[in-house]
Amino acid sequence: MSDNPTPPRPAPEPAPVAAEDQSTRRDKQTRQDRQDRQPSRDRQPQRDRQPPPDRQPPPDRQTPPDRQTPPDKNAAQGKNAARDRSATKDKGAAQDKSATKDGARQDRSARQDKSAPRDKGAGPPTRPPRRRRPRFSVERGWFPPLGSKGKVALVVSVLTGLLTHGYHLFRYPLYLTDEGIYMQRAWSVLRETSLSPYTYDYDHAPLGWITLAGWVFPLPKQFETFGNAINTGRFLMLLVHLVSVYLLFEITRRLSGSVLAATIAAFLFNVSPIAVYFQRQVLLDNLMILWLLLSLFMLLRREVTIRSVFGGGMALGIALITKENAIFFVPSFMYLLYRRVKGSASHRFTSTLWPFAAFAPIGAYVTYALLKNELLPSGFDFDLNNPPADHVSLLYTLWWQLNRSQGTLFSHTGLLQTSWLVRDKYLLIAGVCAMLISLWLGMRDRKRNLGFLISGTLAFGYAFYLVRGSVVLDFYVTPLIPMLAINVGMVIDRMLTGSFASRFIRGAHSMTRVALPSFVALLLLASPASGYLVHTNTEGHTQIADQYQSKINLTGMQHAQIAWVRKHVPPNSRIIMDDDLWGDLHDVRPFYPYAHSHWNASSDPDVRDKLFRKKWQNVDYIIMSNKMRKSMDTNNSDGRENWILQALRNSTRVWSQTQGNIKLEIYRVQ
Amino acid sequence: MIVAIVYLVLIVVSILLTVQSAHVLYLMLYTWDRADAERKARAPEEFLPPQLSFSVLLPARHEEDVIQSTIERVVRADYPAELLEVFVICSQDDTGTVKKAEEKIDELHREGLHNVRVVVFDDKPINKPHGLNTALPHTANEVVTIFDAEDDIHPKIFSLVNTVMVQEDVRVVQAGVQLMNYQSNWYSTLNVLEYFFWFKSRLHYHAHYGSIPLGGNTVFFARELLLRLRGWDDRNLTEDADMGLRISAMGERVRVVYDDRYVTKEETPPTLGHFIRQRTRWSQGFMQTLKKGTWKKLPTRKQRWLAFYVLAFPRGQALLGLYLPLSLGMILVLKVPVLIALCSYLPVLLLAAHFLVQAVGLYEFTNAHGLEASPKAVLRMAIAWFPFQMVLAYAALRAMRREMLGRHDWEKTQHVGAHRATTEEAESRVG
Repeated sequence: MSDNPTPPRPAPEPAPVAAEDQSTRRDKQTRQDRQDRQPSRDRQPQRDRQPPPDRQPPPDRQTPPDRQTPPDKNAAQGKNAARDRSATKDKGAAQDKSATKDGARQDRSARQDKSAPRDKGAGPPTRPPRRRRPRFSVERGWFPPLGSKGKVALVVSVLTGLLTHGYHLFRYPLYLTDEGIYMQRAWSVLRETSLSPYTYDYDHAPLGWITLAGWVFPLPKQFETFGNAINTGRFLMLLVHLVSVYLLFEITRRLSGSVLAATIAAFLFNVSPIAVYFQRQVLLDNLMILWLLLSLFMLLRREVTIRSVFGGGMALGIALITKENAIFFVPSFMYLLYRRVKGSASHRFTSTLWPFAAFAPIGAYVTYALLKNELLPSGFDFDLNNPPADHVSLLYTLWWQLNRSQGTLFSHTGLLQTSWLVRDKYLLIAGVCAMLISLWLGMRDRKRNLGFLISGTLAFGYAFYLVRGSVVLDFYVTPLIPMLAINVGMVIDRMLTGSFASRFIRGAHSMTRVALPSFVALLLLASPASGYLVHTNTEGHTQIADQYQSKINLTGMQHAQIAWVRKHVPPNSRIIMDDDLWGDLHDVRPFYPYAHSHWNASSDPDVRDKLFRKKWQNVDYIIMSNKMRKSMDTNNSDGRENWILQALRNSTRVWSQTQGNIKLEIYRVQ
Repeated sequence: MIVAIVYLVLIVVSILLTVQSAHVLYLMLYTWDRADAERKARAPEEFLPPQLSFSVLLPARHEEDVIQSTIERVVRADYPAELLEVFVICSQDDTGTVKKAEEKIDELHREGLHNVRVVVFDDKPINKPHGLNTALPHTANEVVTIFDAEDDIHPKIFSLVNTVMVQEDVRVVQAGVQLMNYQSNWYSTLNVLEYFFWFKSRLHYHAHYGSIPLGGNTVFFARELLLRLRGWDDRNLTEDADMGLRISAMGERVRVVYDDRYVTKEETPPTLGHFIRQRTRWSQGFMQTLKKGTWKKLPTRKQRWLAFYVLAFPRGQALLGLYLPLSLGMILVLKVPVLIALCSYLPVLLLAAHFLVQAVGLYEFTNAHGLEASPKAVLRMAIAWFPFQMVLAYAALRAMRREMLGRHDWEKTQHVGAHRATTEEAESRVG
């Protein structure tokens, strides 16, 4: 850019070219570029009338200490300049000379300003130092540089994630039905080139387990690489978590302009017991969050290019066909995109290609249904009480899901009370408060608090989905966790900045900014009430929390269960079980081809009517957990599990194991 | 076995097509995507005082209708007359154009303007590059430029190029050419947009990497450079593209200026027949240039690849033309496995992206030139889109056939001025 000797077009008062000093001209150009990106600035609401940074008089007005570091935009410009210069060597000598002069001056300023990230720029930065640096702005992509402290915080965050999610990963929590289902479908993708070993009824978009299959495929022992199918999936979740931590950190930093906010958000995302519990599990939500964060990150790059917007749209589309509930984040994304491309030269292209890119993966999904002739129910019959019998249908399932309602979230037996608040009430309560504060800050000044508006609406959109009264399962809270973490981080940072802005305590500023959150974090870690690191067990003893407790090996019980089956049950037995054992029994020799989950045995026509014929006598074994027993009851509202329950009544227990409130059993049917 | 091969071919072709059209899409959006590219593409805001002198070549063949006004426009350009000289280049048998040109020259003489001359040549081949070569020795000024007879040049174009050449120390400048009549017939919108994306975006990419096929007019060369290259290749149907690559091979930097305000305005070919002939000539010229092998002399692999890619494009387009109906038929008729069908859905997706980008491009174009785009125009474009691709593919196939038969004659495009009444089909086919 420095080699373009001419100010760009909409310059209000073009200066005579030849007469002016080169460096001033370049400076003016930089300024002009920004105006190009933001021509609507003059139409800003009255309350934001304070002069924009680059129009303020250049002399060294006092700047708050945390604004001393020039944004890394500088460095990037320097890099660009260097590249451009080398690309066009036959430039006028005069210009080159002026550039070096510039660079030298900049170097001097960097020496004065110790915190300047000198390692960032490959070439000398181009902007003269005697100007006030631009403030932070999400809209224009003026993000402060990461800096060395930021880098340390980032690395520590990622390592923390590795520790909290990696340690004990294969032992806690218990393998869950849904983990089994997704691995079973990934198995089907690899082994049968099909989306499910049973009839795929479009209950979820398939990209999640296609991803799992893609992960498993190159591994040396495929599904058994890490012991069993679910472990192998969980290892991918660990990798997904680490990437997500990086993205979350950077997103928070860019939305807030603060490393502190990013560190707090990453801390909660890493250490909160509710996060550890759900993020270790093989859930579509975890994969979806990765794509969603990636998409958000693409919209928060310094320069919004068509390519990054396209990539961001594509990532959003992928998130949507990994798990559909990503849709509740879309409005915030749209608004962020609108704010970021407004007034740019390419805004027409970006604002059309983003939705296009997001629709592309969805289009593939719909095309898949269309090609299989499973898009529409036969005869356009959307009657919810009377599901079409001849074939499954994408749109029917969607319609059915939209009409499911079971608003029990807030009741005493609702998930909120029985599961979520138990796991981490601090994050949930603080998160919701922070979300409200973010929304308030964002609404109050949309112009300046764009970051708060985005983080607040992201959390709000998903919270709305949870409370709106549809079916909510335990792990549906997963996508809310990172959003709440972002909000908590940003609000705490803002509160600290706000209170220390007063003259009274400014002296203690940076120390306290770090010390106070650190203290709270230590308190959380040390307090048994939080369950972050230690908790109080049922006997009233304080001990290491379950997720890190080396004495607890929940999945070991499941391994013992499988071992017993392998030893005592013949492979051709007809077995009713839960999905978490599916991979073990179908992918490890000898195979148990007639082992099916009670879900499929009670609903899939192939299993129910052909193998078991709905007769309890046709069942040989039931492999069970107390959790499964419970869900058999809830799934039995229309009596579909009656014959299985009857089999259970006509059986004898041959094996069982108990640990805490978990009980695993095996029954032989007479 | 055969089925497996068919599937494999289908998948490979789909993926290649997807990659290729994604790349084309990127080139179309190059200047918009990169703020620095966009800044570089613009014209300077302030012009330097006139310094360089220009020799304008106006090759004309059967241009009786427009030649006088073209001369008029060049002579009246906003640049000192003593720094301009104009050569109208005609073949001897084209007495009509010569007569009209001389009438105009007499008229200018009476005004005291003596800087226009007619150069007549009587040897073969009768085509544009040969005419240019004939006139080149007569030129005396520092910069040689070419305009076509129907070009509507901007009066400031010489000041603009003068500034760019002096300030940036470049010896070759390609300024923007833009078809304007986007509403005159069914294919004109798409044709206009082709020019728009080519000059506004894609050429900049080529210039940046030093591997650029130049346009046929509004292109400015330092005269000594042309002399060193011994003029144009008069056996080539796209002498302009060939010249661009020869210049690139020398390592000479080419500056592309596309500024909506200063483009040279042109019109789309008046009839579909003309359009096809023009496109056939371009495609065949690219094939010739590819065969000639100048592109192999480019210094870096990236440059060679880029040049090859552009020149080979007509062949790809011919193949694409064959493939498109085939794949559509296959998707509709054949019952291929779902995965393979999904794979062949990829290029269709890219086609949709291309259409979308062109629709947005229409708004960009009309906005830049103070025109008005309407949803109706987009709809018309949507309807014309597939036939247009077929026409392009047909022209490419036609070029391939001519190339194989060894027919290298020049099928000239006729210019009438779209705003005027269409004259007789005075198509000139010369051997």
